[in-house]
Amino acid sequence: MSPRTKQNRSMKLIQDGLWRNNPIFVQVLGICSTLAVTNLVLNTVVMCVALVWTVAMSSLTVSLLRNYTPRNVRMMVETLIIAFYVILVDQGLKAYWPEMSENLGAYVGLIITNCIVMGRTEAYGMNNPPAGAFIDGAFNALGYSFVLLIIAIVREALGMGTLLGYQLPFFSSQYWDKWIIMVMPPGAFFMLAMVTWMFKSMQIRLGSQGVKK
Amino acid sequence: MKDKPWYPVLYMFIVTAAFSSVVIGVGAVTHDRVLANERLAFEKSVVYALALAPGRRLGNSEIHEMFARRVKEPTNATAGAYYIEEGGQIAAYAIPIEGRGFWDQIKGVVGVGADMRTVTGIYFYQQHETPGLGAEITRHEFRDQFTGLRLSTIGKAVNIRRPGTTLGPGEVHAVTGATQTSTRLELLMNEDLEDWQQRMGVRGGEQ
Repeated sequence: MSPRTKQNRSMKLIQDGLWRNNPIFVQVLGICSTLAVTNLVLNTVVMCVALVWTVAMSSLTVSLLRNYTPRNVRMMVETLIIAFYVILVDQGLKAYWPEMSENLGAYVGLIITNCIVMGRTEAYGMNNPPAGAFIDGAFNALGYSFVLLIIAIVREALGMGTLLGYQLPFFSSQYWDKWIIMVMPPGAFFMLAMVTWMFKSMQIRLGSQGVKK
Repeated sequence: MKDKPWYPVLYMFIVTAAFSSVVIGVGAVTHDRVLANERLAFEKSVVYALALAPGRRLGNSEIHEMFARRVKEPTNATAGAYYIEEGGQIAAYAIPIEGRGFWDQIKGVVGVGADMRTVTGIYFYQQHETPGLGAEITRHEFRDQFTGLRLSTIGKAVNIRRPGTTLGPGEVHAVTGATQTSTRLELLMNEDLEDWQQRMGVRGGEQ
């Protein structure tokens, strides 16, 4: 493969993960954690970093082992590898950032069951070379992250009047009656639906799904 | 070799052993640190609940040093409460509280003065309530309400009332939108505080 086509292929993986085949608004995967952790921006950021690490590294590892892994036990191996990386994150947080570990509680462990991780290792990592698998994993997770951050910023601002815990000028003043429902689970459903609607409409309007093939 | 019937079993065994040993290794390396963090979280709660350094944010080593120097381990005479002494007299008690919150265990410490009635502070070191809602009990806006509060020795020791209601003595406002957490918190606090008052012989005394 020439360097040119290699570059094109990476570019395509990046565009797919971030936009054309975005895990949240196109594949509609990983919705459970989208709903659970997006009411405070800081929690969302840590969750996203943990997810980027897990998806990228799991895909890479699954891809490295793909020629040795028997087909009939591949799902077990994938789950094992995913759990491995998630437990490392969990142990790291417990040891070096206990407050955040307390905040995220069970959600870190639940990355193991996040459909995006299993989805990417199974759909891409299992059948493709390591470098591509890593890029595919990382950019799918980043595609997930930027949607989550948009949701989290709106939820925290409207519901708590803050951003990353700092008071926002208008939203924390007496003129803004905090929308408590935004930091409760229903708020996540409203935001997710609106963000999906917005991005899908943009994709349709931009034609050819937004990016040149 | 890959099509031999024993290959998947062997492969699974090797892969599991390899990844597990790394996890076990990392676990062993961080074990002491994790335990120290848990211990420190408790010490921090006691130091803040007793208001040993009012208005100051303390570093981890300062907290540990202050706890070791000033706070005494519980005895029978203090009914399970940690305490500090000033001039040979008990100056304040730190009562550990715990119980079920809305999602999971809530653990914390309530500090009360020598009169066994006036709250010096309250701090939580473990909770898994909803971030942004129930978890707001850990913020100082909520906790500060307890400072200076007089615990009742008849009926409920503390009352957590709906936001917006007019407060009487021994009452604080709940976190907006976190009715379940507030209800459970009131319950678990009163259970432990009333039990402590009972054992210290101040329950049912004058108001």
